[in-house]
Amino acid sequence: MILGLDVGGTQTDTVLIDGDRILKATKIPTGDNLLLTLRTALDGILSGVEPEQIERMAFSTTLATNAIVEDRLGRTGMIISAGPGIDPACFSVGPSFHVVEGCLDHQGFEAVPLDKSSVMEAAEKIQEEGINTIGVVGKFSVRNAAHELQISDWVKGLFSHVAMGHSVSGGLNFPRRIFTTYLNASLHELHTAFSGALTHILDEKNLHGPRYLLKPDGGTIDLMRSAGSPARTAQSGPAASVMGALALDGCRGATLVLDVGGTTTDMSVVLDGMPRLNPHGVKLGLYKTLIRSIITHSLGTGGDSVVQVKTNGKMTVGPLRKGPPVAFGGAVATPTDALVTLGLLALGNKVAAKAAMEELGSALGCNAEAAAERVLQQMAETIAQSARAFVYDINAQPVYTIHQVLNEEKIVPASVLIVGGPAPHIAPYVEKALGLPCRVPPHYDVANAVGAAVARVTAQVTLQADTERGTVIIPEAGEEHKTDRRFDMDQAIAMARKTLCRQAMTIGAEDNSLETVITEKQVFNMMRGYRTVGRNIRLKMSITPGLIPQWKRSL
Amino acid sequence: MISAPRKTGLVFFPAFDWAISPEHPEREERLLYTQDQVMEEGLLDIPGIVEYRVRPAAYEDIQRAHFCVPDEAAVTTKSHLISAGGCLVAADAVLKGEVESAFALVRPPGHHAMRVVHGNRGFCNINIEAVMIEYIRTHYGIRKVAIVDTDCHHGDGTQDIYWHDPNTLFISIHQDGRTLYPGSGFPNESGGPNAQGKTVNIPLPPQTGEKGFLYALDELVMPLLEEFGPEIVINSAGQDNHFNDPITNMNFSARGYAVLNKRLKPDIAVLEGGYAIENALPYVNVGIIMAMAGLDTSFVKEPNYEKDYRPQSRDVTLNIEQLVETLKDLFLWGGLKKKPYDEGQILERKRDIFYDTDGIQERQNEKIRCCSHCAGAFSISSTASTGQHIMGVHIPMEACPACRKTALNWFQTGRKGAFKHVYLQDRDRGVYDVV
Repeated sequence: MILGLDVGGTQTDTVLIDGDRILKATKIPTGDNLLLTLRTALDGILSGVEPEQIERMAFSTTLATNAIVEDRLGRTGMIISAGPGIDPACFSVGPSFHVVEGCLDHQGFEAVPLDKSSVMEAAEKIQEEGINTIGVVGKFSVRNAAHELQISDWVKGLFSHVAMGHSVSGGLNFPRRIFTTYLNASLHELHTAFSGALTHILDEKNLHGPRYLLKPDGGTIDLMRSAGSPARTAQSGPAASVMGALALDGCRGATLVLDVGGTTTDMSVVLDGMPRLNPHGVKLGLYKTLIRSIITHSLGTGGDSVVQVKTNGKMTVGPLRKGPPVAFGGAVATPTDALVTLGLLALGNKVAAKAAMEELGSALGCNAEAAAERVLQQMAETIAQSARAFVYDINAQPVYTIHQVLNEEKIVPASVLIVGGPAPHIAPYVEKALGLPCRVPPHYDVANAVGAAVARVTAQVTLQADTERGTVIIPEAGEEHKTDRRFDMDQAIAMARKTLCRQAMTIGAEDNSLETVITEKQVFNMMRGYRTVGRNIRLKMSITPGLIPQWKRSL
Repeated sequence: MISAPRKTGLVFFPAFDWAISPEHPEREERLLYTQDQVMEEGLLDIPGIVEYRVRPAAYEDIQRAHFCVPDEAAVTTKSHLISAGGCLVAADAVLKGEVESAFALVRPPGHHAMRVVHGNRGFCNINIEAVMIEYIRTHYGIRKVAIVDTDCHHGDGTQDIYWHDPNTLFISIHQDGRTLYPGSGFPNESGGPNAQGKTVNIPLPPQTGEKGFLYALDELVMPLLEEFGPEIVINSAGQDNHFNDPITNMNFSARGYAVLNKRLKPDIAVLEGGYAIENALPYVNVGIIMAMAGLDTSFVKEPNYEKDYRPQSRDVTLNIEQLVETLKDLFLWGGLKKKPYDEGQILERKRDIFYDTDGIQERQNEKIRCCSHCAGAFSISSTASTGQHIMGVHIPMEACPACRKTALNWFQTGRKGAFKHVYLQDRDRGVYDVV
C-alpha cells in the first residue's frame, strides 16, 4: 500500500492506495502546526491499517512555501563573486550580503582571480553578526565551480552550513542562482528540524517504507536527502494536483488541467501525459528561482470567492475571499452558496445561501435560482478567460532556432480535466464557457494526495563540454572532468545518462523508474578567426515527471 | 530589486541552426555567448524588459523594399525571413505602444543588401531595416524615418535603398572605406537629386575609440536628427567597431556602445555585424539592452577592458575633429550646394555592384525623375553574371501624378523589352507586379 498526503491551504487530504484502487481517503482541516496536522492526518488514515503494509509514503507540504511567504527564513549571509554586468548589489538579499573580487567569463575562464582577503573579511563580518549559515554564489559558476568551491573551502570552518550556487541548477541566471541559494541556505535549519521531526513521527508509527517529499516539478525526493536543497520542496501543491490528474485520468492529447479549490483555481497543461514545465524556474514569494516546476497559473477564483454585482450590472467572482460561504456561516455570497441554492451541494444552511442569492438576484432583476445560475456561469467565464490567456502565454514563449519557428508546437487544448471539491458541479459551466469537453476523474476531491502518492523521483543534469577549455562539467552533480578534443555528443550523452541515473538513485529513485529524456541538445563548432579551436556541447537530460511503475502497471 | 525605467522589448533570434557555411563568421555560434551572457545576467527577468517571440516575414513584406531576382524564394532562406520578421515584431511592439523601445537581436544581418537583390553581399541577402521601415510606413502611417547605422562597415545597402527618399535620413558612422569593406561611404555620397543631404556618411579613421564615436554623435548626429525631426529613429546596431573585433580596426567598447545608445535613444535597434563573438558581443549586447531599458551600465565592461583597451591617439582625435567640422559645414550649416535640376528631368547613373559572398557581378542602369512634389519615380535595369537581366520600376509613396505616369510608361516599355523579368513596386497603391 502507498500513502499520499497533501497539505493544502485549508484542508489536508490523505489517501491510501493499493494497486490502482484508492482504499481510503480522509480530509481534515489544516491547522497552524504543520507537524500536528501531519500527525492527525496519519492517525486518521492509519486507523485499522497495519503499518507494515505501507511500502512507501509521499508528502506534499507547505513548510517551505509558508516560511518564504511569511518571511520566517533563517538569517543567512551571502558571499558573491560577480564581475562585469549588472551591479550585483541589485540582487542583495538577506541581512548580510557581500560582493568579493573575482570573475569568471561565460566560458568559465578566470578573468579576475578571487581575492582571499576580501572573502575572509566578508566571512568575518557575517560571523560577527551571529549568522552561522551562508550562501556562496559566483557568476557563471555553472561553467566552472572553482571560485565557489574555493570560497567555500576558505570559510567553511566558520559556519555550520554553506550552500553553493552551482549545484542548484545547470541553468544560466545569476540573480536566480543567488536567490535560490539564499533560500536553500535560509531554509536549511527549519527544514532539517522538520524532516527530523517527521522522521520521528513516522518511526513512531512504525512506517518504515521509503519516504518522499513532492517538488514543484511533480517529482519526488527522498525526505532525508531533501535538506541539501530545501527550497526544492516549496510550492508543491499545484504540482500535486497535476500529478493527481495524470494518475487518475492519463491526460492523453493536449489537456487543460483545472484544480478548482476554495480560494483559487490552479491551471496547467499536460501534453500526452507530460506536464508542461517552466523553462526558467518557479517563483517563490518574491524570489525568482532556478527550481524547475510545472507551469501553473493560480487564479483567485474558487468556490469560496466573493461574488459582487457592480452598479453597471456586471458580476465578478473573486479574486477576494472573505471567510466561509454564507451557507457555512459567512457573510458574503460565494459560488458555493450558488451550488447549495441549486441543490447541487447538499451541505450547509440552504436557507441562508438562498437568501444571499436572492439579494444578488434583486440587483440583477431575477430570482435566487437564476442568480445562482449566473454566478456559476460567471465563475466559469472568469476561469475560461484566464485559461485562454494562460495557454496564449505558453505559446508565446520565445524560440531560438529556425526549426522551432517553422515547426511551432502550439498547444491547443482538446479537452479539460477538472479536479478539486466543486469539480463535478462547475464542469458543465466550464465546458460551455471554454467550448471544450470537460471530464471529472474519480476521486477528484483528493487528486492532490493521489498525485503526491504516485509521483516518481525526478532529476535533471546539465552537461556542458568545452573542448577548447578542455573541460566537461555537470554542475548539479558537482562533476568536472578534463577532456580532449575528441569528446563528442555520443560520449556526452553516455556521461550525462550515467550521472543522471546516479543522481536520481541518490535522492531515492527506484531503478525501475529511470526513464531518461534528452530535453536539450546542441553542439557548436568553436572558431577563433578562421581556425576551429574546439567544440561546445550542451546537453540537458532529465527524468521527467511521471508515475511510479507500481501505479502504471495497474492502470 | 531592479526594474527597467524604460519599458523595452527584446526580440532574440540567434538562429542556432543556420550558417552561411560552417566556418563563416555568420555561423551558428555567433550569438551563443551573447545568449549566455544575457541569460546569466537575468536581463529577461527584469520587470520592464519584455521578450518577444519571432515570426517569419512574408514575401509581401520584402517586396516593399526589394526587387528580388528572380524572386524572393531564390535569394532568401527561412533564416532571412525570420530575421526580418524579428524586426517586424520589434516594430509592432514599439508602435502599438507596448514598449518604449525595442531591440531586434537577430541574425543574419541585412545592411549591405541593396534594392535589387541577386544574392548575398557582405553576409546580407535582404535589408532587414528597410523591410521593417516600409512595414512601419504601410501599417502605422509613419513617413519621416531616421536611420543611424553604427556598424563598422558602411551601410551601403541601406544607403542604396533610401538614396532617393527625402523622407528618410540615413546616417552611417563607419571605418573609412579606404581601409575596409565595402569601400564606400564618403562625405560626397549625400543622396540622390530628390533627396540631397539626406544621406550623411561619417567615415572615421581606423583606431577611433570611445571619445571619437561619442564626439561624432554629439557634434553631428544628434543635431542632424534634431534638424530632420524624424517620427522614428532606427539604429543599425552593428558591433564590429569593438576593439576585440577580428575583421575591423576600430577601438570601441561595450561601455561606449552603451553610452552611445543612451544618448541616441533609438526607438528600434537592429543588430547588424559584429564578430568578436566571445569577447565583445556578449558585453556589447548586454550594454545595449540595459541602456535601452534605462538601467545603470557603469558595471558593463569586457573582462579584458583594463588590459587591452587603449584610448584613441591624438592624431585620431584631430583627424575626427577635422572631419566633423567639414561635415557640419556641409550638412548643418548649408555648405552642401544642392544641385538644381529641372522639374521632370530624367537623370541616369550606371553602377557596377559586386556580391562578395556569392561572387556575382551586377551592372545597373538607373533612371530617376527629378521632382519637387514627391520622392520621384525611378527605374533600375540590372544585368548580373548569373545571366539575369531585369528591370524594376519604383513608384514612391504619395507619388505625384507625373511621376506615376512616367513610372507606368517605363513599366510598359520594359515589358516589351528583352528583360527576363520586369517588376513594378507601387508603394503608393501597395502593389507589387512581376511580369
